[in-house]
Amino acid sequence: MSNLSGRPPVWSYWVVLPLFVLIWALAAWLLESPLLPTPLSVLDTLVAEAVSGELWRHLGATLSRVIVAFVLAMLLGTAIGIAMGRSKTTNALFDPMLVLLLNLPALVTIILMYVWFGLVEVAAVMAVVINKVPNVAVTVREGARSLDHRLEDMATVYDFTRWQRFREVWVPQLFPYLMAATRGGLALIWKIVLVVELLGRSNGIGFQLHMAFQVFDVAAILAYSLAFIAVVQLIELAILQPLERRSSRWRQPEAAHA
Amino acid sequence: MLELQIAGRSFGQPVLGEVLATIERGDHICLLGPSGIGKTTLLNAIAGLDKTIPAEAIIGREKLRVGYLFQEHRLLPWRTLNANLRLAGASSEEAEAHLVSVGLEGYGHYLPDQLSLGMARRAALARCLAVKPDLLLLDEPFASLDPVMADGLKTLIAGILDANPGMAMICVTHDGGDAEILANRLWYLDGKPARLQWDDKVGEPGLIGGLLGKLRRLDLAGS
Repeated sequence: MSNLSGRPPVWSYWVVLPLFVLIWALAAWLLESPLLPTPLSVLDTLVAEAVSGELWRHLGATLSRVIVAFVLAMLLGTAIGIAMGRSKTTNALFDPMLVLLLNLPALVTIILMYVWFGLVEVAAVMAVVINKVPNVAVTVREGARSLDHRLEDMATVYDFTRWQRFREVWVPQLFPYLMAATRGGLALIWKIVLVVELLGRSNGIGFQLHMAFQVFDVAAILAYSLAFIAVVQLIELAILQPLERRSSRWRQPEAAHA
Repeated sequence: MLELQIAGRSFGQPVLGEVLATIERGDHICLLGPSGIGKTTLLNAIAGLDKTIPAEAIIGREKLRVGYLFQEHRLLPWRTLNANLRLAGASSEEAEAHLVSVGLEGYGHYLPDQLSLGMARRAALARCLAVKPDLLLLDEPFASLDPVMADGLKTLIAGILDANPGMAMICVTHDGGDAEILANRLWYLDGKPARLQWDDKVGEPGLIGGLLGKLRRLDLAGS
């Protein structure tokens, strides 16, 4: 009751997850099956893969695909979203296409790209981008529709250049939408990248999962998944959260001066 | 300096009728009229914000620098006052000087939302000055200010007009008292669709009050 406002107590972050690991350890210890390795043996596998260098090679391959696909999807999706949010005609023209792409299963895009362009890197990245662009576009379109027309008029009167209008008027208003697209994007993209790798690449975490699956090496499957979850969490903590804090500082001016 | 040949403007139903007028340098016009009659619509048309009104209807605007004081401050809330003024074309030093001239010395690093309404409006006025305007458009500059603040702002605007004799001003207001202090010319907008019912120089003091009374009675009789 005392925490209706303000921060929750620090310990509350450290209850459910450790408890989950504990239950996992207990179950694994009771079952003694290779299909459910203990947390410690997963950690052992992780360390062994890291020492041999395999982990870094595959992690690097997956991460670079994620980054390239993410940047392309964000750029394209933002441009399409702004165009559709600003012009009703553009929206009417492309909306049916957007609905189609939104509901196209990721697996279908991936298969089609591989069938049409072969098992090459470009096809892999393109498949991921095509999957992600509609989500970004829909989110950003929502933001572009809610742009404040009063500030638009102001920018017109004061002769803002196109760049100033984009950088000073639009981006700050679109920022929460871009952040939402980024968060959702990272989570979605790395999962799609794994499927892409599983189906047609010879490196990356998806490829390793494929290999582990064929020999039912559950410890390796968990080790590689955990490694990438850790990377995504690191991106959130080291890049996204500081960026968000910096960009929304104006929302809480320290001292009201009324 | 500026010639208006506006054919009209409708939002579903006609709001603005034909508006023909000429604005000269040094004209200090107060635009009066009942609320909701289309005063802001006319001001937006003059500022070129109304895309449905062809540019040829406002002859001479291309060559003019226009400073527009909106009803809300419309400063970018994520930029400091100084940065807001720089976006209007001032250098950092000029921005500070403009802020000083509206009584906001030392507030350059403040964000707009840290200011009171009256201060924010003066900051927005400073931004108008930052474009070194030939034409100053003021939309209800004294609305929702307490009388002391409103008087302060009136004195400030009158001072700015005195210091820049070539500057023209159009000030939307519904208070004839504002016109007594600021205007040397009076527009009265009324009717359906709205037209300029009165466009003349301001004569001796006290005239405006009587005139407004007459115009309003005329309006009542007509409707």
